[in-house]
Amino acid sequence: MAVTAAILRAQLLSMRVGANRRGAILSLITGTVWYGMWTAAACVAFFALSIAEPGQLRQWIPLGLLGVTVYWQAMPILSATMGASLDLRKLRIYPAPHGKLFYVEVLLRLTTGAEMLILLAAGTAALFRNPFTRGWYAPLPAAVFILFNLLLASGTRSLLERLLSRRRVREVLIFLLFMVWMVPRFFLLQGEGTANLHGWDRAVADLFWPWSAAAYAALGVRVAPALLYLAGWSCLAAWFGRGQFERSMRWDLTAAEATPADGRATRARAVIDALFRLPGRIWRDPLAAIVEKELRSLARTPRYRMVFVMGFSFGLMVWLPLVIGARAEKHTALSHHFLTLVCVYALTLLGQVSYWNCFGFDRSAAQIYFLAPQSLRAILLGKNIASLAYIYLETAILIAITSLFRLRFGGAAIAETLCVVGVCALYMLAMGNVSSVQYPRGLSPTRVSQGGASSRFQALVFLLYPLGLIPVGLAYLARYALDSTLAFYVALAGAAAIGAMVYWIAMDSAVSAAMVRRERLIGDLSAAEGPVSAD
Amino acid sequence: MSTAAISVRSLRKYYGNKAAVDGVDLEVPRGSFFGFLGPNGAGKSTTIRMLTGLAPADGGEIEILGLPMPRQELEIKKRIGLVPDESLLFDRLTGAEFLEFVGRMYGLERRTAIGRARDLMDLLQLANGRKIIGEYSKGMRKRVAMAASLIHHPELFLMDEPFEGVDAVGARLMKDILTDQVRRGATIFLTTHVLEVVERLCDRVAIINEGRIVKAGALEELRAGGESLEDAFVRIVGANQDVERLEWL
Repeated sequence: MAVTAAILRAQLLSMRVGANRRGAILSLITGTVWYGMWTAAACVAFFALSIAEPGQLRQWIPLGLLGVTVYWQAMPILSATMGASLDLRKLRIYPAPHGKLFYVEVLLRLTTGAEMLILLAAGTAALFRNPFTRGWYAPLPAAVFILFNLLLASGTRSLLERLLSRRRVREVLIFLLFMVWMVPRFFLLQGEGTANLHGWDRAVADLFWPWSAAAYAALGVRVAPALLYLAGWSCLAAWFGRGQFERSMRWDLTAAEATPADGRATRARAVIDALFRLPGRIWRDPLAAIVEKELRSLARTPRYRMVFVMGFSFGLMVWLPLVIGARAEKHTALSHHFLTLVCVYALTLLGQVSYWNCFGFDRSAAQIYFLAPQSLRAILLGKNIASLAYIYLETAILIAITSLFRLRFGGAAIAETLCVVGVCALYMLAMGNVSSVQYPRGLSPTRVSQGGASSRFQALVFLLYPLGLIPVGLAYLARYALDSTLAFYVALAGAAAIGAMVYWIAMDSAVSAAMVRRERLIGDLSAAEGPVSAD
Repeated sequence: MSTAAISVRSLRKYYGNKAAVDGVDLEVPRGSFFGFLGPNGAGKSTTIRMLTGLAPADGGEIEILGLPMPRQELEIKKRIGLVPDESLLFDRLTGAEFLEFVGRMYGLERRTAIGRARDLMDLLQLANGRKIIGEYSKGMRKRVAMAASLIHHPELFLMDEPFEGVDAVGARLMKDILTDQVRRGATIFLTTHVLEVVERLCDRVAIINEGRIVKAGALEELRAGGESLEDAFVRIVGANQDVERLEWL
């Protein structure tokens, strides 16, 4: 316990509120909003399960627990925020038993599934209230099911972190994950091969699976075999988690990330270098130098590259099934604006590793912006231009991929998307400049699993987006009200004009705030984390 | 206009109630190799941060190369070069790309910046490859930081522990470059804990302790009575205590 206590105490001391009060307040607000939403969902689940009949319970609870497992294991990957984790590079030097470190690591997996704990607690409580069930059966399988998820999540995280640290492997892996998720759904929605999949719901509800075993045991049905299966799965998860943790302990990150010694100047490299030098042909220094530096740095930052790939892969994964196949007819509005929607989603995803915290990857090197004889306005503008360049590159890739999925958009739709993305980016960058100065936080460019913002912050951002995008929404409203594309573009031009004003005001505010709190800003960006890397 | 490279009067900086720098007066003549010494936490880095405009002073006056700080901050920045204690390097750029970036930030033409970056990479014996700074050793990072401080040919160098982590060959190279710069009229303001470096390079020294200058003058004045600089330093900062053995150690 001494090791665990020492690690947790060191982490608590590293996270003292006094160190960053603004961040703590923001965290409190976002935490309240995020967990408030999940508490509301848990209340709904509680009331639904309290009055459900036995047949419904046997059908719903296994599927619900399957959902819990999927969320717990997949959400950290989908949201690119894998939660808090032990920083093994800092802890490896101490003679702490690996078993103790693994124990802390498993406990830290609660940070990616705290929402699920709320749901499971509500579900367990509901079984006490339901007249058809005996509640006392529920707590034990629920606890073992949580343990199973924690152990599995620990192993998955260790494995993914190692794989994602390898040069070039991470992008391929993200794309493979996308394909594994996307291709079956694509064929299903196209109506191909569905005949073989009838009864899948019964298959996933088989007692053999951990979610079903936990559900049956909690309902008091076939308790002994269900608990046996659940214990077996938990042992497997423990073996997997511990094995992966041990491999991570021996993992040589530096070797995995090292640039190959091959120094030949290939033609491809020359072309890429020429592309990076393009800003010098458009703008003058210092703006060109900053844009060029940002383009180069971001392109070589593993974490940014991973999120960039996710922007066009997971974006499609989320939205494409709604617009292809039979369901597309139900979602005609979505089908019409699919390209715009998926591009705006990519824009939001990129925010956490770029414009929301634009000094994050610079860390202590951000002090050069205050040392050089240049205005901070040029620095922020340069960073914004580089962000915008990648946002439009992402948009171009999305247009290309959607055409591969037989979704061909006309020139008008593409033009509309480019305009809407530009206007949205104007508002996002304006907000991002303020947040970058007010809530700066150093980010590890190599630690691919560290989030630029926590899932709670992302949740708040997703709540704020509609507010920030009201002008763009009004443009769409104008189109539907007046049934005129001209009206849409006039309103969009108005939104762009307002956006430009908002951008300038936000820029002034950010520049003056940065000058006033420059010392704090550099301090926050240089701050080292404790033994646990929080997301 | 003051003839001093750095002129500081009653400089103060507080962190909460604690004075990190408490009424510092300092005069660094132009063309001098000035050693700024002090024990850990004495206020050396804080003073440098105020001299470079990274941290605002809470009181006092600063003149750099005859220009008042912060009123003429931009003009001052163009004429000084800094090697800070913390890294100011962008980890995802190669050494040459970083130096080019710094040159352009200081207003050099792109071609000039590229040319000087290449020259400095050669001078400081840094391989001009694809390796990014994030993969450099600590000593190589210091060399790049030093090269970055040279690229715009400044009149005044402010260096916070420039030799920390640098091997003997690299340190010798860096010392030669700095000595050459002083010979050409530049001023160097250096903090270091390696007193042998100060004895070999510096002609003037100031010692800061608990935020106050406790001694300043020519190196020879400090070493009165033929004692070594280390002995003089320990005596001046009042750390000359007998070491008691810990029972368990």
